[in-house]
Amino acid sequence: MNAPEFLDRASAIAIGEEWLAASIAPCSAYGARDAQIRRRFLAGEEREANAQAARIARIAERFDLDAMEAVRATLARLPDIAPALARVDVGDSLEDAQALALLRFADGAIELQSRLAECRDLPDCAGESVDRVRALFERGRVGSHAFYLHDSFDDALRAERERFDEARARFESARGRLERNVAESLGRGARLDEEFIVMREALVAPLPPGVRVVREAPTYLLCEVDLDEETRVLLERREEAARRVALAEDRVRASLAERVSKLRDGLVRTMMHLGEIDAAIAAALWTRRFACRPAETSSEGGIEIVEGRWLPLQERLEIGGGAFVPSSLSWSGAAIVTGPNMGGKSVALRTVGFIALCASMGLPVPAQRARLALPPMIRWLGIGPDDESRGGLLSSFAGEAVRLRDAFAALAPRALLLVDEFARTTTPRESFAILVASLHAARERGAEVIAATHLAGVAAAAGARHFAVRGLRGIPTQSPGADIERLLAVLADCMDYRIEEVSEDRRESSDALALASLLGVDEEIVARARAIVKTIAE
Amino acid sequence: MEVSDRLLDRAMGIGARSVAVVGTGKNVGKTVVMRAIYRAALARGMKVGLTSIGRDGEANDFVDAFAKPRLRLAAGTLVAGALGALPRSPALEWCESTEIQSASGPIAIVRVRTESEIELVGAPTASGLRGSVAALFAHGAEFVAIDGAIDRIAALRGEDAVIVSCGAAGSTSVEAIAAEAGALVALLALPRHDDTSAALRIEGALTPMRAAELIARGERRPIVVRDATRVTLRGRALLGALDRLQIRVERPLRPVAVTVNSVGRAGSVEPKALLHAVRAAVSLPTFDLFAASAA
Repeated sequence: MNAPEFLDRASAIAIGEEWLAASIAPCSAYGARDAQIRRRFLAGEEREANAQAARIARIAERFDLDAMEAVRATLARLPDIAPALARVDVGDSLEDAQALALLRFADGAIELQSRLAECRDLPDCAGESVDRVRALFERGRVGSHAFYLHDSFDDALRAERERFDEARARFESARGRLERNVAESLGRGARLDEEFIVMREALVAPLPPGVRVVREAPTYLLCEVDLDEETRVLLERREEAARRVALAEDRVRASLAERVSKLRDGLVRTMMHLGEIDAAIAAALWTRRFACRPAETSSEGGIEIVEGRWLPLQERLEIGGGAFVPSSLSWSGAAIVTGPNMGGKSVALRTVGFIALCASMGLPVPAQRARLALPPMIRWLGIGPDDESRGGLLSSFAGEAVRLRDAFAALAPRALLLVDEFARTTTPRESFAILVASLHAARERGAEVIAATHLAGVAAAAGARHFAVRGLRGIPTQSPGADIERLLAVLADCMDYRIEEVSEDRRESSDALALASLLGVDEEIVARARAIVKTIAE
Repeated sequence: MEVSDRLLDRAMGIGARSVAVVGTGKNVGKTVVMRAIYRAALARGMKVGLTSIGRDGEANDFVDAFAKPRLRLAAGTLVAGALGALPRSPALEWCESTEIQSASGPIAIVRVRTESEIELVGAPTASGLRGSVAALFAHGAEFVAIDGAIDRIAALRGEDAVIVSCGAAGSTSVEAIAAEAGALVALLALPRHDDTSAALRIEGALTPMRAAELIARGERRPIVVRDATRVTLRGRALLGALDRLQIRVERPLRPVAVTVNSVGRAGSVEPKALLHAVRAAVSLPTFDLFAASAA
C-alpha cells in the first residue's frame, strides 16, 4: 500500500502551507534545486528532524537579520553554472557568457565562504575546484565584473589578433583615402555614409573616380564609394585575418572547457552545498524573524503546544498594527475547542497543523515549546475549497462526508486530524452524533484529533479534553459602523482570544447574539432572538 | 557642421542622454540615422551605448528580406543585445547577462573590443528596453541610441530625445509622406496636461470611435491620456482630431528632429521637395542624411 499523501490541497490551504513555502523560499537557482529534492521527515525520523531544526535554530542565533540578508543578496546574484557544466560534460566548448558566469560564480562562492566560514552548521561553499576556476578565468577579468577572452590566454591568439589589427589598419587606411578623395571632389565633409546622394544640379563635372552609382533618378544619383583593386585585396586580407582570429578564439574556448570539465565534480559538489546554504539561510532568517524554536519530536503520542502561533495570521495582524494572541493546548488522542464565533477556534486548529507541518519539514516551530510526534499525514476536515471545486454537485455536508471517508481510508497512527465545525450544515443532533463517532474512531486508530465545535457535550461524549476560547469581554457602547476593518478592530478589542482548559460541564457562552449586534444585524431581530433564547432556556 | 552632428546636437540640446529613432514605417532610413548619430557621438569621444526595440540591425530585413544598412561598431561601444544574436567572434567583453528576455535569449550587456558588425536584437517590451538602457548607463555609457521598430513608441519615455524618420518606402507621394510624418510628430509632441484645469481623463486608449463621440458632443475640456501610445488614431484622422479636441498626456515625449529618405524600394521622390514638404508638416528641423542637407 502506498503511503498516504502527507497534505492534501484543502488541508494545505487551511493551515497555510503556501505561506510557509513562500516565507522560506530560496533565492538562487541552487536553492531552488535543493528545494525540489527535499522531502518531509516522517514518523521514525524524529532524530533527523530534531537535528535539522536544531541546526536551523543555531544558524538563526549565529547570524543577525542583516548578515543573513547580505548572504541572500550574494546568493541571489550567483549565476547558474549548470548550463556551462552541461556543455563541458558533452565535450562542447564554452561561450564567453558562460565564462563570465563561471568567474562570477567563483567570486560569489569565495565571498560566501568568507562570510560563513565560522559557522559549522553550513557546508563549505568554496574549495580547490572553485579556486582553480577563478584562477582559470582570472586572466579574462575586466574591472570587477566583466570577462573578455584576452590575448594572455594564448600566444597564438595574441599573434592572430595582431595580424588582424595590421590587416584592418591597412584596409581602413586605403578605404579612408578613397573616401577622402571622393568627399573632397564632391565638396562634402570628411565623413561619407555607405550610400550618399549627389544632386545632378550640383554636378559641374562627371562624377569623380571611385564613385559607383547605385541608382539614377531624374534629379539625383544614389552613390557609394567604389573600392579599387588594391583596397579589395586589403579587404580580403582583413576578412581572412578575422577568420583566423575566430579559429584561434575557438581553440582557447575549447581548451578552457576541457579544463573546466576536469573540475566538474568539485563544482557540482559546490553547487549542491550552495543549495543547502540557500535553503538553510532562508529557514534561519524566517526562524529569527518569527522567534521560532525547535520542537521536541518523538515517537510517543500526544501533542503539547505552549504559546503556539499561526504565522500567516500573525504577520497580517502585525502589518495592520494588531497582535496575535498565542494559544496553548495539550492532549493525547482527542481534544475539543469551543467558543464564540470569530473567537479563534479555527485559528487554534490551524496553529496546531502549522506547527506539525513545520516540525515535519525540520524547521523550528512558532511556539514557546512544542512536543509532538511526526505525523504521517495531516487532514483538515471541514468546509473547504474542494467543496467549491466540485461544481456544486455535492452539498456542503456531502463534501465533508467525502473528505471524512478519504481521510479515514488513509488514517494511520499519529495522523493529525483537524476537524473544523464538522457537519455544521446538518441537524445538530446528527452533527453531534457523527462528530462524536468520528472522534472515537480516530482515537481508536491512534490518530491525534482536535475538533472545533459549537455543539455542547461533545467533549464529555467523546472522552476528549475540552478547551475553550474565553470570548467576548463586553460589547462596545457605540456601534463601529459598517466598515469591516474598523469592525474587526473593535471586535479584537472586545474579544479575549486566550484558550484555557475547561471542565466538561462548562456552559457555553451565548456570544453569538452579542456578536450579531456588534456586526450590525437589525436590533429588532437581535432582540427577538434574545427573547426566543430566554423562552427556550425557561 | 555635418548633418549627423546637428542631429546629435538636437538630442543633446534638450539635455537628453538617450535618443530613440522611430520611423513612420519600415525602410525609411532609421538605421542610417542611428549610424550617423552613433558616429557623431564617437567623434566627440563619447562612450556610446546601443540597443534596439526588438529586432533591428540585421543584414537582411527580417520582415521583407531586403538588404539593410549595417551597423559596424567601434571598439569601446556598449551594446544591449540578445545573447543568441551576438557574434561569437571577434570576442566581445561580457559585462552582464540580464534577466531581460527576448526571443533570441536573454539580453546581455557587452562591450565591443574589436571593430565588428553586430546584429542588434534588443528587448521586445517597454520595461525590457528601459532596463537595457539603464544597464548600458550602469556600465559606463555616456549616451545611448535606441533603434526603434515600426510603431513601437510604447517603449519610449520622456527622458529620451526622439528622432522621427520618414521616407519613400511606403509611398512615392511627397504630400502623403509629409502628412504621415506630420501626424506621427503631432502624436509624439502631444503636450503635458496642466493639472490645474478640469479635464476628461481616459484610462484606456483614445480610439477613433471615442474621439468621434467626443467631437460630436463638442467636448471642450482637455482629453487626458497617459501617454502618446494611448492614442490609437493615426494619419489624417489624428490630425483631424487634434484640430477639434485638446488632447493632452500625463507623460509627454520629446521629438527633436525629423529625417527624410527620398530613396525607396518602390520608387523615389525629389529630395529637396520632400525635405521642404516634411519640414512644413512637422515644424521641426528636418534633415536628409543621404543628401547632406537640412531645412
